[in-house]
Amino acid sequence: MEQTPLPSTPEQVSHHSPPPLRDRLAELALAGAVVILGIIVIWETRGIRVTPAYSKVGPRVIPYLVGTGLIVVGLWLAVEVLEGRTATGAGDAEDADPTLPTDWRCVGGLAVALLVYLVLIERAGFVIASALLFFGSAFAMGSRRIIRDAAAGILLAIAVYEIFTRGLGLRLPAGVLTGLL
Amino acid sequence: MGPLGDLASGFGVALTPENLLWALIGVFLGTAVGVLPGIGPALTVALLLPVTYDLEPISAFIMFAGIYYGGMYGGSTTSILLNTPGESASIVTAIEGNLMAKRGRGAAALATAAIGSFVAGTLGTLALTLVAPVMVKLALRFGAAEYFALIVLAFTTITALLGGSLVRGLISLLVGLTIGLVGVDTLTGQSRFTFGVPQLLDGIDVVTVAVGLFAVGETLWVASRLRHGAEETIPVRGSVWMTREEWKRSWKPWLRGTALGFPIGSLPAGGAEIPTFLSYSIERRLSNHPEEFGKGAIEGVAGPEAANNASAAGVLVPLLTLGLPTSATAAILLVAFQRYGLNPGSQLFQRDPELVWGLIASLYIGNVMLLVLNLPLAGLWVRLLAIPRPMLYAGILVFAGLGTYSQKGSTVDLVILYVLGALGFLMRRFDIPVAPAVIAVILGPVAEEHFRRALQLSQGNYMTFVTRPISGSILLLAALGLIVPIVLRAVQTRRTPPASSA
Repeated sequence: MEQTPLPSTPEQVSHHSPPPLRDRLAELALAGAVVILGIIVIWETRGIRVTPAYSKVGPRVIPYLVGTGLIVVGLWLAVEVLEGRTATGAGDAEDADPTLPTDWRCVGGLAVALLVYLVLIERAGFVIASALLFFGSAFAMGSRRIIRDAAAGILLAIAVYEIFTRGLGLRLPAGVLTGLL
Repeated sequence: MGPLGDLASGFGVALTPENLLWALIGVFLGTAVGVLPGIGPALTVALLLPVTYDLEPISAFIMFAGIYYGGMYGGSTTSILLNTPGESASIVTAIEGNLMAKRGRGAAALATAAIGSFVAGTLGTLALTLVAPVMVKLALRFGAAEYFALIVLAFTTITALLGGSLVRGLISLLVGLTIGLVGVDTLTGQSRFTFGVPQLLDGIDVVTVAVGLFAVGETLWVASRLRHGAEETIPVRGSVWMTREEWKRSWKPWLRGTALGFPIGSLPAGGAEIPTFLSYSIERRLSNHPEEFGKGAIEGVAGPEAANNASAAGVLVPLLTLGLPTSATAAILLVAFQRYGLNPGSQLFQRDPELVWGLIASLYIGNVMLLVLNLPLAGLWVRLLAIPRPMLYAGILVFAGLGTYSQKGSTVDLVILYVLGALGFLMRRFDIPVAPAVIAVILGPVAEEHFRRALQLSQGNYMTFVTRPISGSILLLAALGLIVPIVLRAVQTRRTPPASSA
């Protein structure tokens, strides 16, 4: 899943035609975010307490280096983008088609499913939260075979719960189904 | 006792019926999960970590050995039949293998990949058996400065040699290092970057990082650009076997691929990408059928697949002897060791020889099992590829949640998982490789500890890293690894100016 160039096209970062302005702005925002992260790291490092015995090579040295490094690579990326070298987004596409525009409805649907899972896992229990996560994310990704997906989600959640708690000794919250499972 | 004697006692451990069963389960699960599109070997191991929580260490590691090799096998099946490499090391296999499948030779492509993986895996494990004791002896002479230099070398090669853009690799590395800084400083007990959240004192777990970046990030990325229309899975007709001619064309690439994969995999530079690409270009040059390359040449599958698996064995050399993971998958394996309170390295070989050699012996056994399992079961794995994508990714999210929550039973970890998932999505969007970040999360704190120990020993004299001969030469190599690609790129751009420069 890492992105590495294909042997035939050694440069994934293309510099053939000037990329659209939108992409450039997005990349500049990324470069800015990296620089800001570096500043935050340095800022926070100043607050780390240093015991005198370790003052020479205390807990601040490496964070300062990392923060400085982030600022440097952020600026470096900005320079590359201004020279016209941006990402193509064409990494080894698995089930994704990099030429499509971002489908925010689909991503938003997944985000909702994940948040529901977070809220429910300890309140309603692992089985209910997982079944809803399965059903909700399949629905968000465009599946409309509601009965099949619901059945698959419930069966998967129960099977995982039983195998991992009974067979493998993991502790998972039973929630409202305590006593039933 | 020489390495062969050690190995024999290792086989004594691995060949008990119980451990054979764990090896078989590991191989089966590893292949099944590895076949699923969207799941590479690193994620396979990360998602299957909870399965071993309740096992004895030796059984757990025998199972992990099976999962590790099984995940590699499964990945090659996916790339041949779907043209969707689950990881960068399978990209080359995907090119020629998928073209072979389209010409109706999918069965032969699967067979040459499976048998080539067996040959390379076995020879690679043999090389591991012989090299590991030598490395252990060498490692005993390493001090903190040397370990620090080795990690710096691993960092630079992983970021500079992989991926299309040096600056993007460095961003990934530094983001990983930043994540690794969170938590209590091991030497002074001061908390760093915890922002007052007590759950962050233990630091952010590498498994959460890997699952967040790979599983959640990948799912969000796929969801944002879901390919519409039916998936093109190519049906496999006939038995998974090769003709005489195909055997003849395969065996030399297998051996050459092994010869490339193991040594490169065992260097601190590590990784399977470079040997697979090298193997591909060498086979194209040496082939009697160069015209077939780009149309489905069997050499283009046999060589890179062998290189891929031999390097998987090679990666275990620095992991087991130095505790140095050089691939994302190896980083997860290191976490598995740490879960059991074990620290791979020269001491582990001396203190726990039964465990280490049992693990190595089970690698041989796992390879045989994979071959026996995969030739007849190819049809079963193929069916896994037909899972509708919404269900597949929904299932990945369920297991991502399970793997993260079950570690400590804390919803804070789920929040961290989601944040990392969003980060993984952005990294995919901007072509930033994920592997350097995962490796940096686990190696960053180790590097810092060695760095500060070395400076304490030298009374704060930074020259210690340069003046100690071994440490100095390793750091020199690291500097070259960073500078040479920049110079090469600069020369290249000067020779071929962009067609339409602003």
